[in-house]
Amino acid sequence: MIENRSTLACNAAAKASGVTPGLSLAAARAIAPALRTVSRNRRAEQETLEGIAAWLGRFTPRVSLEAPQQLAAEMAGSLRLFGGLRQLERRLCSGLEALGFTVQLAFAPTARAALWRAAGGAAELDDLPVEVTGADPGILRLLRNLGVSTLGELLQLPRNGAARRFGQGLIDDLDRALGRIPDPRSAFVPPSRFSARLELPAQVAEAAGVLFAARRLLVQLEGALIARQSGIRGFVLSLAHCGAPTTRLAVPFSRASRDATHFAALLREHLSRLELAAPVESIRLEAAGFEPLHASTTGLFHDARDTGEGWTRLVERLSARLGEKAIQGLAIRAEHRPELASRAVALECLPGSGANSPPVDPAPEQRPLWLLETPRRLAEDEFVLLAGPERIESGWWDGGEVRRDYFIARTGDSSLVWIFRECERGWFLHGIFA
Amino acid sequence: MASLPELPAYAELHCVSNFTFLRGASHPEELVARAASLGYSALAITDECSFAGIVRAHVAAKKHGLKLIAGVEAELVDGLKVALLATDRRSYGAIGALVTAGRRRSRKGRYSLTREDLAAASGSGMLVLLVTGREAEHALESGTRDRLERDARWIAAHFPDRAWIAAELLCGPNDRLRLDALRLLGHAAGLPLVAAGGVHMHVRSRRRLQDALTAIRLGRPVSECGHSLHPNGERHLRLRSRLAQLYPPELLAETLEVARRCHFSLDELSYEYPEELVPGGETPASWLRQLVDRGLRRRFPSGTPRMVQELVNHELELIAELRYEAFFLTVHDIVSFARSREILCQGRGSAANSAVCYALGITEVDPERMSMLFERFVSRERNEPPDIDVDFEHQRREEVIQYLYSKYGRERTALAATVICYRPRSAVRDLGKVLGMGLDAIEQLAGTLSWWDGKAMLPERLQQAGLDPGDPLVSRLLALAAELIGFPRHLSQHVGGFVISRGALSELVPVENAAMPERTVIQWDKDDLDALGLLKVDVLALGMLSAIRRGLQMAGLRIEEVPSEDPAVYRMIQQADTVGVFQVESRAQMSMLPRLRPERFYDLVIEVAIVRPGPIQGGMVHPYLRRRQGLEAVTYPSEAVKQVLERTLGVPIFQEQVMQLAMVAAGFTPGEADRLRRSMAAWKRKGGLEHFEQRLVRGMLERGYRREFAEAIYRQILGFGEYGFPESHAASFALLVYVSAWLKCHHPAAFLAALLNSQPMGFYAPAQLVQDAQRHGVEVRTPEACVSDWDCTLERPAAAFPGGERNAGAAVRLGMRMISGFSESAAQRVIASRPFQSVEDLARRAGLNRRDLARLADGGALAALSGHRRLAHWATAGVSRGEGALASVLLPEAPAALAPPSEGEGIVADYASLGLTLGRHPLALLRTQLRRLGLSSAEALRAIPHGRRARTAGLVTCRQRPDTASGVIFLTLEDETGSSNVVVWRDIAERQRRELLGARLLGVQGVIERDGEVVHLVAHRLVDHSRLLADRLGPFAVRSRDFH
Repeated sequence: MIENRSTLACNAAAKASGVTPGLSLAAARAIAPALRTVSRNRRAEQETLEGIAAWLGRFTPRVSLEAPQQLAAEMAGSLRLFGGLRQLERRLCSGLEALGFTVQLAFAPTARAALWRAAGGAAELDDLPVEVTGADPGILRLLRNLGVSTLGELLQLPRNGAARRFGQGLIDDLDRALGRIPDPRSAFVPPSRFSARLELPAQVAEAAGVLFAARRLLVQLEGALIARQSGIRGFVLSLAHCGAPTTRLAVPFSRASRDATHFAALLREHLSRLELAAPVESIRLEAAGFEPLHASTTGLFHDARDTGEGWTRLVERLSARLGEKAIQGLAIRAEHRPELASRAVALECLPGSGANSPPVDPAPEQRPLWLLETPRRLAEDEFVLLAGPERIESGWWDGGEVRRDYFIARTGDSSLVWIFRECERGWFLHGIFA
Repeated sequence: MASLPELPAYAELHCVSNFTFLRGASHPEELVARAASLGYSALAITDECSFAGIVRAHVAAKKHGLKLIAGVEAELVDGLKVALLATDRRSYGAIGALVTAGRRRSRKGRYSLTREDLAAASGSGMLVLLVTGREAEHALESGTRDRLERDARWIAAHFPDRAWIAAELLCGPNDRLRLDALRLLGHAAGLPLVAAGGVHMHVRSRRRLQDALTAIRLGRPVSECGHSLHPNGERHLRLRSRLAQLYPPELLAETLEVARRCHFSLDELSYEYPEELVPGGETPASWLRQLVDRGLRRRFPSGTPRMVQELVNHELELIAELRYEAFFLTVHDIVSFARSREILCQGRGSAANSAVCYALGITEVDPERMSMLFERFVSRERNEPPDIDVDFEHQRREEVIQYLYSKYGRERTALAATVICYRPRSAVRDLGKVLGMGLDAIEQLAGTLSWWDGKAMLPERLQQAGLDPGDPLVSRLLALAAELIGFPRHLSQHVGGFVISRGALSELVPVENAAMPERTVIQWDKDDLDALGLLKVDVLALGMLSAIRRGLQMAGLRIEEVPSEDPAVYRMIQQADTVGVFQVESRAQMSMLPRLRPERFYDLVIEVAIVRPGPIQGGMVHPYLRRRQGLEAVTYPSEAVKQVLERTLGVPIFQEQVMQLAMVAAGFTPGEADRLRRSMAAWKRKGGLEHFEQRLVRGMLERGYRREFAEAIYRQILGFGEYGFPESHAASFALLVYVSAWLKCHHPAAFLAALLNSQPMGFYAPAQLVQDAQRHGVEVRTPEACVSDWDCTLERPAAAFPGGERNAGAAVRLGMRMISGFSESAAQRVIASRPFQSVEDLARRAGLNRRDLARLADGGALAALSGHRRLAHWATAGVSRGEGALASVLLPEAPAALAPPSEGEGIVADYASLGLTLGRHPLALLRTQLRRLGLSSAEALRAIPHGRRARTAGLVTCRQRPDTASGVIFLTLEDETGSSNVVVWRDIAERQRRELLGARLLGVQGVIERDGEVVHLVAHRLVDHSRLLADRLGPFAVRSRDFH
């Protein structure tokens, strides 16, 4: 794993070929040319940590995240509940292993000391290397220069002199570890996501019935979103059947939203195309990825929407009804190959729909409006050349190279066409002018 | 059958080469060759605001008999785009001045020109083509038409009868419309049309590379470059039959008219020497004569020997005939300036073939000591200015450069350029990015291209990097890289080649800004200047000159006082006891010294010349050695050959000898022989030696020499390549060898201090220099804030110091310059405020911050004030941060009980700060363990007989991969007993790359190879023992010096 162009961690294979953490990427590659690297993903690390913290909630409400890779949990209150320290430790270990993590557990009377011990391989406090304090590199270098390598040695130094040299911060941290001064930590609050289940009073065999029930959950979701001033870009409705696998219905939107009426309208379109495999017993609504949404209070005229939003809604409804791929936009693309000079794009990528698209040279006027999807072979007596050639040689980089001479020509039925000659392959009709 | 219609004549007037960086996709030479083979009447090279490629084009055009037009293309800041063509010397100068103006006011690599600039240059007679882009197709629409018409009228008004509209028909969307529009425009503005091609490449097949260059320029993948790419490959030099189809005949005919009016050739450029070198009332010739006479009186106080006087007379005659006086005066002036500042300098290269240069103090090789070949230096036939390179002390060269600028002014002085070209690694990086290869894969591939890989290694490296050569992306990359490697990328500055002119330099060649502030470079490199016969003075930097000046100064001697031919010095050299000595300190040289056993100065000249890639590849070394050792008889095929080769025992070692051989044995004229020498220097890059082979062999057969002899001579010439030394150059260097060896022999302490003060230089790091000096009985003392200067200095030696009787009466005190990260200004403040009561006192009075103090503590330089390193760090970290009065308030403190550091810790700290230790060598601490592993010390290794298996381990201090040795890598390992030499053959180097490049403590198992006193261990297996080092010493780094 790499970060800032140097190795951060490596697997056994990399170690075997001589790569160690802390090498520059260039050095690592010189040693192991076939090295495969992945970049560090701090967000994934944070999410993992949050996941563990949420899980730890079953042992204690007092869990704090100690990014990037530690968690502190106050277990004093839970010891009796879980049958003592050993028992608790075993449960923690086996539980976390079951979740697929390798952990280093350490216990201490203070959170700081426990974190340091965990970082230092659970050694006794005095034997811990000074690096566990996470002091800044300058201080650590100084400690190294003084020959001070463990916390025990650090604690031996005269207190005033130490504070003067290493800063009060480090001395305070030591005091926190020793419990001489308090060390309050902010407790972890679970992340914002939504999940709610609803048992249907009776089995429902029609989609419309599902919609009715789902409205209740959608309103709850809206409430949760309002409280957090957030919106979502989609939700998932799971339909649990009796005797059939659960149906998952994903409802994406093109813009973040938290409007229950809007949610319901979309859900209706999705449900209307759904054949229920079996009657539904319960439903679950899940939504994640809350994102901040500008709190817009409901306007005086509830139905007055700006036109942009109206367009978006039209597109969403059409897509829901005709299928996602059926509604597309056409965008001009800066590209010499005519067949690639325009392309179908998802509607939200169209200019004016908010996404930035690179400015494009205006297409030359000598382009026909209607381009054949596949050029059609022409016989030499089918046309008369009027203008040209325009030579296009491009696209070698993606395997779709073209080398053609284009002409404007008139065909037997007097229509104005765009044809090309490809060396050795003859003549082709490629477009028709209006 | 009707005869084919005759092809129309055509001259291409608008064409950029790859010196329009990242646009042009062909070398100038390729463009010229192609234009010639297509039967073009002329070709204009119009690089964008640049003449950088014009000389190459000129040389090629002469070869192909093509008319070349010099020009540039420029886009003004308001968007107007023109091509400017030089008609004569004057308009060429005006274009050069214009380019200079545009470049000098912009940062490196850019330019900026306005209409006012162009208008100001309009009187010079240059021709102008108005170049239009795609907008011309809209010229029938009113908005565009107005603007284009305004531009065209403006040009017509400023360049009456000298301007055209370039009609570039490139198979665009509607060429007919375009042509009509341009005709209307021409009509409205009164400008004629002329056909042009807007050429970017010599053949159509460079289209892909051209697209890739565009993408590199824009910094985007090719697939995202859209309309910035050209729509097709028409921008090449097209067949005339094709042009005949595309252009009306009168537009093609007009190209000839334009070309006819351009009759300037670069051959007309002649160098004019600066005027201010001659005092009033004197002519350059009389003044030079006077200076030479004065010089001879100084050199030969008891009268100039007749032979020397004759040489001088002969030379002065030739100089006068060729009117080179001013050149010698220029160099003399620079050298005199250096002397006046006591900056040591010495001419090198062929100038040392001149008794005049000796008299003027430019060179130091006594004409009495050497046989001189003045024609090697200045020749009537060559008709090109001589080449004088002068080395100056590297730390003081800047003073000389500033002198040049102040004396001749920035308008008249600039550095020659060096063209930086694409190499495999940079080509792969840039191409990989634009082809959309993942950054990871690019780095992987680029990373496998080591400092020693050439072009040919690419396919192998691909596989090693886990890339499939069959993959289309990869094969595209490879194909393009093969074309791109060698393309110029940007201009950089030459190490020291100055061009000085009489008038404004920009009229000779455009000048632009270098990356370094206040430096300007011309747009031509050394080869360009050579090709045009323009003078440049090489103001070079040589570290050894600094070291010698410092060493002599410390020894209290002048260079003239160094006695010549001291037997003790030669005894030392014969034993290869030459660490630190100029040139002969390298590993290759050291292994040769005990075999060559130099006994006199001329042996050193040979030594310097023979241990070079050229003679080694030419197979000269072993024959010479065998003959010198009397193992092989010396025979000569003729008396004439004997004359040439006798002084080198029948083996050609110097360039001059090859020239002379070609003359006496193969009937070359001196001019031809000199051309042969020049081709020798360039054949590896450019080829073109084959016709000399025929000429040489035929000539020798005709004169009765055996074919084997002739072919052997030719092979030796090939081997010389660009590495052969001229004898005169070797002699200049040999002088420095001798003087530095004499210093090492008689003043080892001064020699060490001087070398340390001149770092970085030479083959060895300070650690090795210090160890070597210690082995020779020099006491070296730690840097100490209370005693040390910035530089290393000499002190009185301790009486009881072991080996004290052998040392030359001095110990070396390391200076504060040795302390990593400590600045000279801080050191000067420390020196000025001594003595000190305490670290706090030092900090306050010398104004040092905690960082500075910590550096001193790192270097162990506070021992006198605070005790061992740990205490020093404790003290420095405790210095209060405030300034002035606040800082002086010291809080009473309890003392810290810090144990002294272990020996290992001390060694690590020494290396980290000083790059060396004065304590035991780190491997001394590991010796027991190493012995247990069966690893011999370097000393023990030297006693093992030839062919015996052996194993050793040492710190890797040097990795070398000479070009001559086909993939073999030479390692130098060091331990507490000295160094050992390891040879790693290519297969092991490839297989054990990790150990080879990664190990700090490297173990080697192999077989001893011994030739006299020279011992190598040929590696069979490499073992990384860095772990031992890390376990014992922690993070410990020794820098290895890696050479190509």
